Amino acid sequence: MTKTYHAGFMSDKPNWGQALKLWRRDVLVFLTDVACLAGLWMLITYAAISPDRGVLVFLTVPWWLMLLVVAVLAGLWQSFGLSSGMKLLGRRLKATQDASGAAAFARRLFRALLLPFSPLLVLPVLVTARYVPIHDRWSGFETQSATEVVDPKSPWYRRSWAVAIALLALTAFAVSVIFTRVNLVKLFTEFDNTANIRAQIANPNWGVLFEGGQLLLVTLFMAFMATLFGIIVAVPLSFVAARNLTQGLVGRAVYTIVRGILSILRSIQPFIWVIVLIVWVKAGNAPMAGVIALFIHSVADLTKLYAERLESIDPGPVEAIRATGASQSQVIMYGIIPQIINPYMSFTIYRWDINVRMSTIVGMVGGGGIGQRLLQEMRVSDYSDAVVLMMLIMVAVWAMDTLSARLRERIETGSSNPALPSYALKLKTEISNRTFGSRW
Amino acid sequence: MEDLIRIENLVKIYERGEVLALNDVSTTVQKGEFLVLLGLSGSGKSTLLRCINRLIEPTAGTIVFDGKDVTKASSRQLRHLRRRMAMIFQQFNLVKRSSVLTNVLSGRLGYVNPAASAIHKFAKQDIADAMACLERVGIPEQAYKRADELSGGQQQRVGIARALMQQPDLLMADEPVSALDPATAHSIMQYLEQMNQEDDVTVVTSLHFLSLARRYGARILALKDGEIVFEGSPAEIDKVKFKEIYGEDAEEVEVR
Ligand SMILES: Nc1ncnc2c1ncn2[C@@H]1O[C@H](COP(=O)(O)OP(=O)(O)O)[C@@H](O)[C@H]1O
Ligand SMILES: [Mg+2]
Repeated sequence: MTKTYHAGFMSDKPNWGQALKLWRRDVLVFLTDVACLAGLWMLITYAAISPDRGVLVFLTVPWWLMLLVVAVLAGLWQSFGLSSGMKLLGRRLKATQDASGAAAFARRLFRALLLPFSPLLVLPVLVTARYVPIHDRWSGFETQSATEVVDPKSPWYRRSWAVAIALLALTAFAVSVIFTRVNLVKLFTEFDNTANIRAQIANPNWGVLFEGGQLLLVTLFMAFMATLFGIIVAVPLSFVAARNLTQGLVGRAVYTIVRGILSILRSIQPFIWVIVLIVWVKAGNAPMAGVIALFIHSVADLTKLYAERLESIDPGPVEAIRATGASQSQVIMYGIIPQIINPYMSFTIYRWDINVRMSTIVGMVGGGGIGQRLLQEMRVSDYSDAVVLMMLIMVAVWAMDTLSARLRERIETGSSNPALPSYALKLKTEISNRTFGSRW
Repeated sequence: MEDLIRIENLVKIYERGEVLALNDVSTTVQKGEFLVLLGLSGSGKSTLLRCINRLIEPTAGTIVFDGKDVTKASSRQLRHLRRRMAMIFQQFNLVKRSSVLTNVLSGRLGYVNPAASAIHKFAKQDIADAMACLERVGIPEQAYKRADELSGGQQQRVGIARALMQQPDLLMADEPVSALDPATAHSIMQYLEQMNQEDDVTVVTSLHFLSLARRYGARILALKDGEIVFEGSPAEIDKVKFKEIYGEDAEEVEVR
């Protein structure tokens, strides 16, 4: 029995959307490989050359030459073996022509050399209806999803790359530890340099306590304002920053733009914003600059957290509410909000917590409050004042930490929703990333 | 009898993955009918049901509901049409963190003033109706519990109560009993039967088991790979037809 398919189904017309997606994945595979190899390059050059010339030694080769070599290596890696990128993204190379002998070897080489220069990187549109990029088409290969290809026995070099990389990274690590050991020793032998500081710290000047308390209030208020305004902007913004709620061409465009801007904003640290804003809103208004700086970062951070939560809501109830004839606003009110309200509160408290901690640092670069004062005291080496201010900050941060942990616990255990632990866990790792990570 | 739904040359292609889920499906559903959709999973049952209330946009074809073209309806008209087509789901699709009562009341959303519903304010009459619906499905005492504290069977009853709140002309059920044990399945199916016979609600339901279809269905429509392979009364399905619908290797099992 022959089937008559509806016209338009599996047509031969190029499917640009699909091709773009596949092209993006190919580029991602390529970039992953380049990144792996470039990292390896740096490690090796660093490990191989004495430490007084430092980590920047890879720059003794012109950057374009390094990129070129790395790109060609990536091509070879992909064409002759199973590259990290292919492995991670589940791609396999499949020969569409005879795959053995010298001719096949030559074709692999051809592909490898063509790959970095192929329109892969510049001309995604040069594809047929079924997306096959130039370097594959001309060399008689095809990349396929790993599940489509049954791997024949793979030779050693297609398997042991990961092992080799790990070994090299270990070597590099060992070498760098050996070279920095000398400086680590200093940490213990030259402790006496701090004698003056220790003497002052042991003798705190409690006279600044009241003034410090007032400044601390300013700092806490900065954090509070920044969080509050942050919520007001981030909640509505999160709805256009969630992938599952932004369908269609316009929606997708808005999503991409909003997410892009947010990640740029997030990557600029608040203390940089303060420096810019102090020039902008004039130095006399220091706390204002601090609030705005924290606000910008809060919006960017909260929106992302909120949006990710929105992306993981159960679509079932939303669909069910829609099916009753509810309007869009009712669908949000009854189908979406009950699913997100608790996580949103939890994220907000967590962000407030961060803002309290950040606001002292923001103060240090001129954003007002207790942080600004602390830095002044340290500049004039008045550590007996500074130690009191630091104690105040410690108490405030500790109190905020405890309070926020308690509140979040209440919110999270107040429900028997089995979906909850996952975001609680995520929150925990996020917090430890931020507390112990590279933020400050 | 009059037609409630007329489906003409319905096609659905999922762009992602290029799946032809419905290929030129045409049929009619009469007022007051109890229609059962059969077919293996992936045959297009859910897609067909969701095209009728346009939770999924059809690729081509027409669907006429009570004389009105659903496929051409504006979003406002569509919402008015949806009020009359209730739907229940395999996974119940309740808002788990809301109370049972709120879930039932949400069946009324298409009728109420959006501003009032935004602050969760419903008319006294609506609340009384919601309690009556819960009584009808036998769980009035659960009204103030959170929906996810209920058992599967109870959750599906809440789903039915939500559908009853709409006072629908059509009830669509997408494998309403597949997630339930056989005894509970029958009690849920009996509520559907009751709605069909006592409230004159037209029922279109997809089912997994032929035995359930034989027991409750007045007419059966079987899909395979997005095409209609059988249309007729349950009695007409013999061994040969069965193998056509479910494939050569299938054996009929009984759900008691
Ligand atoms: N959102 C979707 N995107 C892509 N393909 C889908 C989607 N939903 C369903 N399909 C495909 O459409 C076909 C019909 O699915 P469905 O209507 O869910 O069948 P059934 O309800 O009978 O199990 C299946 O092949 C399924 O994989
Ligand atoms: Mg289904």
